[in-house]
Amino acid sequence: MPQTMLDGRVARHELRPAPDHLTAFFWEAALRHELAIQKCDGCGYFNHWPVPRCKKCWSTALSPTKVSGQATVYTFAVATQAFHPWFESRLPFVVAVIELAEQSGLKLVSNVIGCPVDDVHCGMAVEVTFEDVEEGFTLPMFRPAATRGLGQ
Amino acid sequence: MKGQRVAVVGVGYSTIGRSTGLSLDDLAVEASIAAMADAGLKPTDIDGVATHCFPHQLVRPTRVADLLGIPDLGWYSGNFDGAAYVVAAHHGIAAVASGSCHTCLTIRSVHRMGASGGTRAWPADGIAGVDQFLVPYGDTTAAHWAAMYMQRHMHEFGTTPEQFGEFVIAQRDYAAANPDAIHRTPLTMDDYLSSRMIARPLHVLDCDYPVDAGSALIFTTEERARDMVHKPVFFESWAAGTTDVLDFHLLESMPQSSPWRAAQRMWSKTDLGPDDVNIAGLYDGFSFIAMQWMEALGFCGLGESGPFVEAGHTRPGGRLPTNTDGGACNVGRRHGANFFIEVTRQLRGECGDRQIPGASVGVVSNSVGGFAGCALMINE
Ligand SMILES: [Zn+2]
Repeated sequence: MPQTMLDGRVARHELRPAPDHLTAFFWEAALRHELAIQKCDGCGYFNHWPVPRCKKCWSTALSPTKVSGQATVYTFAVATQAFHPWFESRLPFVVAVIELAEQSGLKLVSNVIGCPVDDVHCGMAVEVTFEDVEEGFTLPMFRPAATRGLGQ
Repeated sequence: MKGQRVAVVGVGYSTIGRSTGLSLDDLAVEASIAAMADAGLKPTDIDGVATHCFPHQLVRPTRVADLLGIPDLGWYSGNFDGAAYVVAAHHGIAAVASGSCHTCLTIRSVHRMGASGGTRAWPADGIAGVDQFLVPYGDTTAAHWAAMYMQRHMHEFGTTPEQFGEFVIAQRDYAAANPDAIHRTPLTMDDYLSSRMIARPLHVLDCDYPVDAGSALIFTTEERARDMVHKPVFFESWAAGTTDVLDFHLLESMPQSSPWRAAQRMWSKTDLGPDDVNIAGLYDGFSFIAMQWMEALGFCGLGESGPFVEAGHTRPGGRLPTNTDGGACNVGRRHGANFFIEVTRQLRGECGDRQIPGASVGVVSNSVGGFAGCALMINE
């Protein structure tokens, strides 16, 4: 949804992804509130970011695959300066590298929401959630895991 | 295996400033003229040029040669990939070592605006490429990944904000003794800790200082170097390194990224080791990068750079006097070239108030994350 800036103006999130033939599935899945990662039909390896050939076996048979959304925070930063107006009213917010449960070292970048920024820590157990930003634009994000323990 | 021995015989900078009004070509030419003057060389003495620039800051080696009146290039390289100035240096070293050319100008120009960081113009038609997985989340600058590298180091090893601060303060003290540095007022820990936070735990004082700058170094063969103005400084070993996953965010280990690969490879090609080094120029695009290099190069153990810095080892008289020009945080962003120039000057013994007595073996480095490079320099 639009964000109200400090001076009362309303900012749109203009920093929308421009999907291409490799990445469109990721954003389309997000609209359905699913987290999908490219998985190799040949060797089972998850590749992220999406690639034209599997990095492990060079197969071009790669299928978007829904993953559990269970994950841990590898590292994070607390953004305290906005480089686009849309982020002003969200400050401070957490940008994090998230490691997905499906495969060791399978990481993506996202925001951690749903808790005070000072509660976020490396190794924190998180799960995917979805923010419907604007019409046709949903971002997968992460929030503290509901049921799991402290993680790594 | 290494080919001919390669020496640095000339170093130079352009006019440096926040808004010089000079084009990237102008900066390259000014720096090259300064380096040729330092070496006592004429355009006809140069037969190779290597430049490094990011794609949107193109500086063509043939164009620079033309502007300088270099009549004929036997070899040239214009590179836009990887670890900034050290790439041009490695190309120039390899070219002279192999005999592809005998005397090579290596150049890095950078404009204050347009390098990574700061304000950027956003495309109206959406964020393409890998940035589509970063920018919509507010991960819009290098400062964001830098903060995440610091956070992970703090998590794994207990590194403290004060330890990053001590590195920043120590190199500012060197800058105070460098008349060419831009920031020369000594800092206190309070100054560091209270400086503007861009993304916790990264302060603005952890960042290099954006300027317009041209930097140039001239490399030649040992035989030619013996007849030149300055006592030559030689490259003893050099190496690059990359990571399995190239992306700076997604790679396997932030605390052990590409500098570890480059450092191990560099040491594998020399009989010298960390104990032989007595001067260092370690890339400080962000303060933590220099600290990762201290660990990667073996001056302290994995995770120990915080206590190493805190013990004063990067200061005069310490185990590893580091960034004695003040580093890019204080002399301004040169994308790696200032470390090569300062260590050359230290090994010549011409650094005045900031000269490290007995400096004889130096290490220089550039970049972090997915790609990095380093070199070992000696004065005999
Ligand atoms: Zn595969």
